[in-house]
Amino acid sequence: MSAVIEFQHVTKVYQRLFSEEKLAALSDVSFEMAPGQVCAFLGPNGAGKTTSISMLMGFFFPTSGQIRVFGRPPGDLASKQQIGFLPENFAFHKFLTAPKLLRFHLQLAGRNPNNAGSLIADLLNKVKLNGFEKLKIGKYSRGMVQRIGIAQALLCDPKLIVLDEPTSGLDPAGRREVLQLLTQLKAEGKTIFLSSHILPEVEQIADHVIIINRGRMVRSGSLRELLTSDGRVEILADRVPDDLRQSVLRDAVVEPGPNGVRVLVDPARKRQAVEALWAAGCDVIAMTPQRNTLEELFLKEVDAPGGAQ
Amino acid sequence: MRIRAIALNTFSGLLRNKIIILFCAGIVCILLLMLTPLLVIRNGRGAQNAEMMQMAVLPLIASMMQLVSGFGSLLAAWAAADVISSEMRSGTVLAVLARPVRRWEFLLGKFLGVQLMMLIFVVLMLGLNYLLAWIGGATIQTTPWVLIVYPLVRYMVYSALGILLVTMMHPILAFCIVLVVMIASSLVAPGNPQSFMPDWLRTGIFYVLPSSNLLSETRFLTITRATLRAAVWTDHVTALTYGLDYALVCFLLAAWIFHSRSLSRD
Repeated sequence: MSAVIEFQHVTKVYQRLFSEEKLAALSDVSFEMAPGQVCAFLGPNGAGKTTSISMLMGFFFPTSGQIRVFGRPPGDLASKQQIGFLPENFAFHKFLTAPKLLRFHLQLAGRNPNNAGSLIADLLNKVKLNGFEKLKIGKYSRGMVQRIGIAQALLCDPKLIVLDEPTSGLDPAGRREVLQLLTQLKAEGKTIFLSSHILPEVEQIADHVIIINRGRMVRSGSLRELLTSDGRVEILADRVPDDLRQSVLRDAVVEPGPNGVRVLVDPARKRQAVEALWAAGCDVIAMTPQRNTLEELFLKEVDAPGGAQ
Repeated sequence: MRIRAIALNTFSGLLRNKIIILFCAGIVCILLLMLTPLLVIRNGRGAQNAEMMQMAVLPLIASMMQLVSGFGSLLAAWAAADVISSEMRSGTVLAVLARPVRRWEFLLGKFLGVQLMMLIFVVLMLGLNYLLAWIGGATIQTTPWVLIVYPLVRYMVYSALGILLVTMMHPILAFCIVLVVMIASSLVAPGNPQSFMPDWLRTGIFYVLPSSNLLSETRFLTITRATLRAAVWTDHVTALTYGLDYALVCFLLAAWIFHSRSLSRD
């Protein structure tokens, strides 16, 4: 199946007019995103996330490299027909009401807004804005603006949904609702490209993670692989003899805990460690695979030498 | 459909634009102040007043038309520059252009929205001129199309120029340049007697800048006699084609620049 989004050696360098000073916002970034995936695009502030999304949407042009969306160049009308986009800090025409804004966007999408009453009502209901149909968007709270932004992104039943910080400005309840909405969209088979700073939430829905830092892609892969790749196995025993610490468990982390001694070993050596503990007459109470959180992985990558400044 | 939606949305936004409302309120105040002496004379009695009325009303209308005409050009340029820059500033352009809308369609929609507002402006000002003439006891004996089409074409030129400039620079700077262009084009107009400029420079500027003089409806209107000077149809066609051509070139240049520029929140 062909990729929905393809970045091939994409570089973006900003240069001011009449100035020699150059700033590389993105350097040689390559990745692909398969249909039906939820891809989390992560990075600290200034990492190049919004630049990448802007190039994906055809707002910026790469200095070198190639971007394809549904096999076409960014900005192509046929591919834009299939994309729902929520920009960071969604801006709006303040004098419009939510139904008028959605009708306007339907017209922009080339659809007839006259028979869209039920579609608009459903969408407003979905983002919990029903009851505010007569209120002008200029009077909305930040969270309500974000919700109407999400509604307009979902307006034409897009195959690809690009969301730049969708939960920004929302309270915890609002964030949970957006998360539920994204889970529902994922179940419907939509492809979602998502940039967010709220990593525990991203971790709940993402299949694939791309981490960029200072314009370079530092990590990419399936979420499960990334979170377990350098995870260890925790063995909880009642005691650990000293001779084992010097031999079989010499590469393991051994530390006393409230319920016994905690031994952290490499997954490849867990069997050997457990058998050695049994053979020494120790009681093995529990064995649990250790899994990183996305937040830990993210901080590890951006705090690595040469990471974020 | 897309262009129409953008044009109508732009028009709705312009009607709520505080700067434009302030501009229009200002011009209405100036017009009312100019109207005061006319009303004072009209309320007086006697043959001397009637004679003064005849002498005052038509020149007053002429000066009002010139004021309104100049103001309209500035309004068209400002509105066109502002509708583009405000979309860029607020970031609404990103949501609009994420839809299957070409960049030139976006610009054309904005341009047409401004023209819709200018059409209403022209019709209102035309009504005002007829009202003034009626107050003064005179009649403007012209075919109204000249008073509608000529200003509209002139406003198209200035709004296209405004759009062209704002695709490259800040709207206030763009507006200032349009103002300078307006002044310069009136200085180099063939009827202007100024002589501080060498002929080659004057001719060069005349060919480059839009000719407000050529596109002025007052060229055909003998204001002091309130009649339309006879003009052959080729004269109208040439003048209007020139104006439309100038506007088209400015618009195409704007579309070309806008097509290749990065779109971000300014």
